[in-house]
Amino acid sequence: MWVKLVLLLLFGLMILGAVHFAPPQKDENSTSSNSDSHSLRLLTWNIGYAELEDDTRAHDKDLPAVADVISREEPDAVALQELTGNAQLETLLSLLHGKYRGALAPRGNGDRFEAVLVKQADATFTPVAVGSRYAVGVSFKPRDDTRSVLVVSAHADAFNAARRRTYTEAVIDWAQAQSQSSAVFIAGDFNFELKAANETNLYTDNLKHDSESYSNILRHFRDLGRAAGDTAINDRRIDYIFGPPALREVGRVAVLRDAAVGRMDHWPLLVEVRL
Amino acid sequence: MFTLLKLEVEKLFRAKSFYLSFVVLIAFVALMLWGFYTYAARKTGGQAVEQFKYTYESKQYFNGLTFALYSLLFSFTLLLPIFVSMSAGSQIAGEARAGTLRMICTRPISRASLILSKFLVTALHACLLLIFFIGLNLVIGLIFVGWGNLELYPGPLNLVDAPGKIMRDEALMRFGYAALSGTWALLVIAALALLCSVVFDSPAQAIVMTIAAYLALYIVGRVEFFEHLRPYFFTTDMDFWRDVFKPDIPWQSLWHYACTCGAYTSGLLLATVIIFERKDIVT
Repeated sequence: MWVKLVLLLLFGLMILGAVHFAPPQKDENSTSSNSDSHSLRLLTWNIGYAELEDDTRAHDKDLPAVADVISREEPDAVALQELTGNAQLETLLSLLHGKYRGALAPRGNGDRFEAVLVKQADATFTPVAVGSRYAVGVSFKPRDDTRSVLVVSAHADAFNAARRRTYTEAVIDWAQAQSQSSAVFIAGDFNFELKAANETNLYTDNLKHDSESYSNILRHFRDLGRAAGDTAINDRRIDYIFGPPALREVGRVAVLRDAAVGRMDHWPLLVEVRL
Repeated sequence: MFTLLKLEVEKLFRAKSFYLSFVVLIAFVALMLWGFYTYAARKTGGQAVEQFKYTYESKQYFNGLTFALYSLLFSFTLLLPIFVSMSAGSQIAGEARAGTLRMICTRPISRASLILSKFLVTALHACLLLIFFIGLNLVIGLIFVGWGNLELYPGPLNLVDAPGKIMRDEALMRFGYAALSGTWALLVIAALALLCSVVFDSPAQAIVMTIAAYLALYIVGRVEFFEHLRPYFFTTDMDFWRDVFKPDIPWQSLWHYACTCGAYTSGLLLATVIIFERKDIVT
């Protein structure tokens, strides 16, 4: 009888312990404050569609919704991925009523383009050659009292981790070279599959490549969007904004999960920082 | 109770399967050493350096502690639960198959005490297996791969979401913690196997049912279709033992999952005792 009583007592204690130590639920939508005191607001968004669609690039009919999000959030700079070309960029800029200027990365070996939009009229755009692909950067001064900022819109290969790694190395090398003169931010879809909870325990070369790419970036930059959680469907955090390690403050960090329209599989990631 | 426990321990040390489990673990460590050594040599000396500019695949990364960690994590998923199932699954069903269960039950001991002593012996086996396996990996790692700090990266092993490092002495302590947390997690399997051992008269059936349940939940938990069911599987809760290898141990979460595993273990044991007390033993 005493054995059953002990086991029953133990069972009850364990249940109580499990309830007592249950970790608090995390709010994945946003963190920190939302204030105008932050000197720089950045947004990155892959506006393409999920793999199952015929054309996975951005669709013209979604551009008004994209423009609405940008107008509402008013980021200083926007990194976009998977545009079909210059026509879409021009449409988007006109939907933003001339508030933003923009540039497209040169066409690489793919059928889609990265773009950057910026509010400042005197911003300068720079194509970034990354092997057979291109990224695009924009330099500007967000406020008169801040140092110059360089924002790069990047998009790493979706299907091959080794190619992602090579691409990331090249982008980081280029960005590092610019970091003496500007505060460099790299924003975009890197497609790193690193989420611990969803992966098997088994060791794969793909996982290792993504791990090494991400770790290599973190040697020089800070992952500003980590606290905001997943940025794409299927619980994936594959869109990032990396910034200088010595930022004065990171403010609001949010994934705008109500922003996607049509068959988009990514949500925009918004980050506010004080330089 | 003490005499009963002593008898069960003697039985455990006389069983061939007890020694077989250690032999298989030695073979697994040898296999891991071969795989780890050739992989590290191939990547650090060849492919990685040729193909990529930046790599953490340095000799500092591939050290004895990394080797022990990989070996432990890989084996914990499949190998150790099998041995624990074998040990616990044959406890009552093995006696029934050998025809000794009726005789044991005629002795002036309660059936609940018998179950408890058999469970404690299984727990001892699980603990010895883990201590032996961790110790062996560390010794082999030290001799063949070398010492260093334990460096952790996001992705492989799924332990961290940013690069981290545990200093050597602290890492050795963490392996000690892992022996405790790992044993506690494996007790869920032991309790399940003991329940199967009471329900089924054949040890093979009890062991297979336990392993099948474990594998089914483990695999289903990994399939994204069933992601929403994952929190309800004991296999998910058992994963807590790995948290001791995180640079900052998440104590609250660790205690939560340890208590959840404890609830599974004590609940299953209670069910085992109740079923066994009402069981008509005809073998």
